[in-house]
Formats: sequence, structure tokens, C-alpha cells
Amino acid sequence: MSLKFSQVNVGDELPPLNIDITTKLITGAAIATRDYQDVHRDQDAARALGSPDIFMNILTTNGLVGRYVTDWTGSAGVLKKVGIKLGAPNYPGDSMVFSGEVMATDRSQQLVELKIVGANSLGHHVTANVTVQLPGKG
Amino acid sequence: MDQKEFEQQLQDSVGVERGPYLGWDTCNKAMIRHWCDAMGDTNSVYSDPAVAATIGGDGSGVLAPPTMLQAWTMVGFGGTHPQGSDERHPVPALDVLDAAGYQAVVATNCEQEYFQPIAEGDDIKSYSSIEAISEQKTTALGVGYFVTQLMEYRNQRDEKVGEMRFRILKYKPHDRTESEAG
Repeated sequence: MSLKFSQVNVGDELPPLNIDITTKLITGAAIATRDYQDVHRDQDAARALGSPDIFMNILTTNGLVGRYVTDWTGSAGVLKKVGIKLGAPNYPGDSMVFSGEVMATDRSQQLVELKIVGANSLGHHVTANVTVQLPGKG
Repeated sequence: MDQKEFEQQLQDSVGVERGPYLGWDTCNKAMIRHWCDAMGDTNSVYSDPAVAATIGGDGSGVLAPPTMLQAWTMVGFGGTHPQGSDERHPVPALDVLDAAGYQAVVATNCEQEYFQPIAEGDDIKSYSSIEAISEQKTTALGVGYFVTQLMEYRNQRDEKVGEMRFRILKYKPHDRTESEAG
């Protein structure tokens, strides 16, 4: 079942989603996103650049934000914009909890603007503004 | 070269377009499945052509997750784009900053906008330009410049399917002993 535009109101909250940040997720997703930078798989390389451990790449964060939104909308939700700001890195052994809220709606194009936060034990890993288009007459 | 000349050289690179940068692979089901598998994304528009057709697919194939935009024209394992791509660096100012000692880099923002779906069978190419370079900034990480790269993505019909603003900080890290002492 997909969400309809008429079912959404400003202030609605998305159900939270927990993502376990594992070495497997960081390395596996880096390769699936075609990012071969060593800081996403090689602990020594990450430490040489002043980081305590390997960390999640930006493409994976993007992919997870997109997934979080369409998990909520269902398959009829069409992503129009995903803007992310990165903060605290995602290191192995941590977990990140996504939360989200409807900030605005545009009836003429059935667009919903969301603010998404992905928080880990260090703070906000990601703050995102997402625009998604939903089906159904407003 | 004094600071003023250096900053002028940076500003001269704003607006210069480079590309195309071609993708190694035509948009395909296997790479889409690998992406979704790693992300835990079970949205069926990425796996079922019939469901994909309800939001813009042509019925013959699946759609790619919009957030894969950047992935289609990434360099390969060897660090290069395929033959036929612009061989120059997509962001010329980074060479200028590297040479001046601003060698560390951290991505701070990524804003993607999608104009039409990318579907199985599409060939994606990208064009890159620098939209803006900040004045010199002192940040928690070090002293440096914010560089905003604008990437435009086009398909085999030369239709603009998406664009991405990617902001990075190119910086000289603070001296660690100095900052620990201070």
C-alpha cells in the first residue's frame, strides 16, 4: 500500500528506523555505490587521515535517506530532491536512528517536503531535506 | 604568487564546464540489486518492471533508485572514466588547492534533484562545473575553501535526468600539537 497525498499533513512524523553501523555495511555499501576510497574499508588508511576508524561514505548515506523515505511512502512515492548535510561520521559499532517530519506540502503538484535526521551516538550524522511526490488527488 | 593572485586563480575556474564523463556500465538490474541489497531497500520499483511502470518505467525494465544518480558515472577500480570521457579533472580548482597545500578534503553537503527516472538500459554521462568557491574560511578542521561542484547528468537522448551540487571543504588541517596545547 502506498501513501496518498491526501493522507499527509504538516507535522506528521515518519516512523523511526534503526540502522546498525557495521564494518560489513560500510564496506559492502561503499562497493555497491562504486566508491573505492580506502577510508571506507582500510582502518590504517582512515587513521592516517586522523579518523579513529573507517567511516560510511556519502553515497551510502544518500541511499539510506532515500530508502527511509520510500519505506514510508511505499512504491508510488517519487523522490524529487534529496539534499543532505553531513555531520558526525558513522563508525563501525555505532547505530543510527532515522526520524523525519513533514515540513510542508504543495497541493498543486502533490509534493511533500520532509526534514530527515539520522542520529548516531556522536550526534547528527545527517540532516536532510527531501521532496517526494505522492499519488492521489489533493 | 601572492594570496590575491592565488584566490583570483581559484575564482577563474568558476563556471568552466568539463565533461562528458561516461559511465562504465549501462544502467542495469544487477547493479541496482547490489545497491538495494546493501541499503536494505525493498522498494519493488527497483526490482519489478510492472511496479516500475506505475511511476514512469516503460514496462520492460526496472527503475534505478534516484539516489544512485552519482554512482553511474563514478570512476572505476582503476580510478579512471571509460574511453571517450574528458580526461581532465572534473574540478580543476582542486589541483590548484592541492598544489597550495590544501590537501585534506571532507564532503559537507550533497543536494540531488531528479528530473526524470533513470531506467534499465539508460546510458548516463555527467558534466561538471564549479558553481562557487568561498573566501578562505577557518573551520574546526583547519583553514581552507568550500568548493561547490555542480554535476549535470544526461541520458543517451541527451535529456537532463538530474543534477547534483556537491560541496566539499579543501583544507590545511590545524597543527595537532598546537591545537592540543591550545
